[in-house]
Amino acid sequence: MHEVVYDVFARKARGDSLCHIGYVDALDDETARVYAWRTYDEENWFEMCVVRRTAIIPVNRDDGPFARARKGVGR
Amino acid sequence: MTPFSEDELKAKVQDGYIVESPEEMTEGYKKALIVQLTVQADTELMSAPSYWRAARYAPSTNTQVSAHAIIQDELAHANIAYRLLEDLGESKEHLVYGRQPHEFKHPYGFDQPLDNWAELVVATGFFDRAGITLLTDVHENTSYGPLKRALVKIGMEETFHLRHGEVWMKRLAAAGGDARDMVQRAVDWMFPMTIEWFGLPDGMKRHSGQLDYRLKGLTNDQLRQVWMASTVPLCESIGIDVPAHYDDGRGEFVLDYPFPCRYDATEKRWFFGEGEISWDDVFARWKARGPMNEVYVESIQRSRGDVGRWLAGQAA
Repeated sequence: MHEVVYDVFARKARGDSLCHIGYVDALDDETARVYAWRTYDEENWFEMCVVRRTAIIPVNRDDGPFARARKGVGR
Repeated sequence: MTPFSEDELKAKVQDGYIVESPEEMTEGYKKALIVQLTVQADTELMSAPSYWRAARYAPSTNTQVSAHAIIQDELAHANIAYRLLEDLGESKEHLVYGRQPHEFKHPYGFDQPLDNWAELVVATGFFDRAGITLLTDVHENTSYGPLKRALVKIGMEETFHLRHGEVWMKRLAAAGGDARDMVQRAVDWMFPMTIEWFGLPDGMKRHSGQLDYRLKGLTNDQLRQVWMASTVPLCESIGIDVPAHYDDGRGEFVLDYPFPCRYDATEKRWFFGEGEISWDDVFARWKARGPMNEVYVESIQRSRGDVGRWLAGQAA
């Protein structure tokens, strides 16, 4: 099964910042939504989003997981 | 290429530097972190089949829900730790599905059968307390930023597991009779097993680099003391005997039995009367794995190949 990594962002309440809270491996966007909601259930989030890691465009760094994903290194 | 030498990175992390990406790591740092994360991931993963098999002893629908909520948390924690390993170049696919049962790095305690509700609640009370003791130390001290952030969620949820275990230990012990006896029997084998979990005494510890690289803050003996400082008073307060006490003169908890000592997994019994054994004997027992090792790993791995082939459009 070819899963790819999605990064998970959430905010606890209105007015809070959207924070990176974790990641899930998933087959597609729909399963990523489900896995993220089920995995990161430690809070009653006001808002949660998932983003395919390869869709994140690093602005000022050339290292780390996001840059590696853009370069096709890792998943 | 790493911008630092081993000595430079050790000095930097001791000074509070937080490592954020694999590119900043030296070989030694990366190797030590991979070992630590593999043990963490495998421990979370293998706690799930152990608790899952025992969840059938839950005495009500509510306790079924709470037991399975704990299992769900443990699997999520494992997933997160394997995800961190993937960012270091390891393969989750291989780690979860490609290894033989004896190759997993979880502690011996999660190779044992939990055979009744009292054993499940003492396991969540003792083993999850061990987990939170180890991971709280990592959370407070680790120099690896992604792990520090991941442990916020894990710490919150492990606290719930622990509370669940301890509340039920209190309830069963207070009921007296068979309920109390079941807790005592579970404690009799699980207390020394958790003590052993923390590993070699400091005087014998082989150099792992985990403290030098600031991947943890406390030594094995210090962590054992932290665990006993919560567990011993809890058991004493509910009338459950444990083979340890607080020594006022030494200002620490001391064990009342030879450590380490022989264990019979079939009888779930420690042989205190036979005296101390060597740590080589303990390592041989751990390496041989416990009675449920293959069953638990098989329960995790069994459906992977078939479903993968279905999705690829091939006959299973």
